[in-house]
Amino acid sequence: MTEKRIKVGLVGCGQIADAHLQQIRRIPWAEPVAVCDLEPLLARQAAERFEIAGLFTSLDQMIEQARPDVVHITTPVESHRPLATQLLDAGIHVYVEKPFTVDVAEARDVLDSALRNNRLVCLGHDQLFDPAWLECCQRIEAGEIGEVQHVESVLGYPLRGPFGTQVIANPDHWVRRLPGGLFQNTLSHPLYRITEFLTDDQPELQATWFSRFKQVPFPTELRAHLRGEKVTGSLLFTSSTKPCHRLTRIYGTEGALEVDLNSQLVRADRVDRYPGAFAKIEAPWRCVRESTRNLARNLSRFWKGELHYFEGMKTTFLKFYEAILEGSDLPVSYEEMIRVTAIMDQLFAECRRGDTERSIEQRRPQHSSTESRSERPGFHWETTGASEQSSSRAI
Amino acid sequence: MQVLLTGATGFLGRRVLRELVDEGCAVRCAVRPGSNIQALRDFVGSRRWSCTETVSVQLSDPEQCRRLVQNCDVVYHVAAALSGSPSNLVMNTVVPTRSLMNAAATERVGRFVLVSSLGVYGSQELPNHSVLDEQCPVDPAGHLRDPYTYSKILQEEVAWDIAREQDLPLVVVRPGVIFGDERGALSHRIGLKLGSLLLSMGGRQQVPFTCVDNCALAVKLAGLRSGVEGQIFNIVDDNLPTGQQVLRNYRKAGHRIRVVRIPQFAINWVARFNERYSESTQQQIPPVLTRYRVQAMWKPLRYSNDRARHLLGWHPSISFDEAFERTLAFGA
Repeated sequence: MTEKRIKVGLVGCGQIADAHLQQIRRIPWAEPVAVCDLEPLLARQAAERFEIAGLFTSLDQMIEQARPDVVHITTPVESHRPLATQLLDAGIHVYVEKPFTVDVAEARDVLDSALRNNRLVCLGHDQLFDPAWLECCQRIEAGEIGEVQHVESVLGYPLRGPFGTQVIANPDHWVRRLPGGLFQNTLSHPLYRITEFLTDDQPELQATWFSRFKQVPFPTELRAHLRGEKVTGSLLFTSSTKPCHRLTRIYGTEGALEVDLNSQLVRADRVDRYPGAFAKIEAPWRCVRESTRNLARNLSRFWKGELHYFEGMKTTFLKFYEAILEGSDLPVSYEEMIRVTAIMDQLFAECRRGDTERSIEQRRPQHSSTESRSERPGFHWETTGASEQSSSRAI
Repeated sequence: MQVLLTGATGFLGRRVLRELVDEGCAVRCAVRPGSNIQALRDFVGSRRWSCTETVSVQLSDPEQCRRLVQNCDVVYHVAAALSGSPSNLVMNTVVPTRSLMNAAATERVGRFVLVSSLGVYGSQELPNHSVLDEQCPVDPAGHLRDPYTYSKILQEEVAWDIAREQDLPLVVVRPGVIFGDERGALSHRIGLKLGSLLLSMGGRQQVPFTCVDNCALAVKLAGLRSGVEGQIFNIVDDNLPTGQQVLRNYRKAGHRIRVVRIPQFAINWVARFNERYSESTQQQIPPVLTRYRVQAMWKPLRYSNDRARHLLGWHPSISFDEAFERTLAFGA
């Protein structure tokens, strides 16, 4: 019997690559053999810190020399389709970090390429394998809250964090070029927590986006409602609240469950068993019991060294690698990849449609006096005025 | 003299700007889009502002850098990212340095002054209580250090390579812990914050402080003194206090700091525990303290500023006590 082993490569050595490499290292039979980035300094820092022998600035060379079985794509989303199809054509399985592709047409291209080459693709919907999420799903499966009716999903975004600061400062940042802007990079996480229960292919959608900050020249808030045949969903993406939530609340016919992925908490909300004033005692008592159970579970996991932020990512990798080596089911189905990407396309189209309508509405009364002023990146000088006796310019 | 200054809106950069304008230089300040220019203007005052121009620029863009450095006699590169993931630090510190230096070499800039860090030294190899000066080699395994120090080590490596290959006159300034006014003296060199606690590491070793105004003066001189091309200058003040003395000063001033002291002999044990625990739990808690890092950070050493004194003619005119009083006045 041959030893179980898989050789892993990674292309795109930015921030999320660290999480991938850390989790790959936690799988004893997965061997990270090469990293690749167009920027040699980025490739070098990843190779040095994770002690990886193969360091490349060309994907062709990585494929030829390192011969990985699977490659993780952790580059900006614009490059996912060309990189994934190149790798699949070279006979290499591909793990794609979310979001899958720029739009659903590209997503179909990638999956067609996978089927054509008889290779597998996995998409990083890793929160579906987070331990707290799995516990919540098991409890729903066991009938604890009855039939699921509605899902609320919240994602808080740290706009002033290291990544958000770069997006704000750089008008040409790749995130700002995406059809869904800031949201496209992370919206799939709260969305697939809804579509796990709302299984319609084409749910009805309402969505709007806007900015809370005058100095930020792109939308930073998104609100969406989804309506399927049996289940509805609401999605809140916010950059203006703290802490940065990763919350989901699932409402059923018999109760509700709330999952807090940050704190690894699962909380239940049930129908009161006692009448009137007694219910006001019973409810906090239930909270105490729930909290005690969460504390005991998290202490136990801490003791065993299992409280990892990216635990779900490791499980997703594990399941994908097993699907490659042993032919087991993929952790995320191709249908789900297409469905989530298509819903994201529709959400952004709906938001843009709202923008257009508002813009027409605003222009109508003062049509002759307002001219939109587009700002494009480029080299230009702007003098602040002689009275200030100083100049300011933008390159 | 026309000079270019990056990082002008930062803690050190705006004081360097003040020094350069007072010296009679025309200063072009490279700032990131969206930087708070008004705050910089308020800081330097309207008289100095008249000798200043600000340019909004992405330093990682080679073409923008080339236009930026045109007609400059000296480039002062002070800008650097202070926090973030290693890849972010590389992208925001090392890549811009490469672009800017390549541009400076192409445009035949007379001198490039790089503000690095005293942290780049591989002081693990030095015996306890020896003197850390410019002769000490740079850490050969920067990836084993914290992300910020790693980025500064890479930055210097890239800078020296470009200077050598393209014949660009380079001067490197390596300041110690910069403090003063709005930035207090409780740095990592004294200890690590754990919630509301401060884990004081050792405490009897000198802390290589430099008051921000003293440091700004040294940076200015590094670009103006003749005959110092190719030199490295450690910038630390005189009569450096120990960590314990700094904590005592804070307490005397009425600050309540909850301190847990890790004695010098126990620092390695704590680091070993952190390493082993991190390894056995597959980094449930990351190996923030490793034996390699603690040796570089909290080893009892003495620090020399002789070279800066002799070659730059620099004197740290503001004493630690005076600078410390100022930070208290700022409430830092």
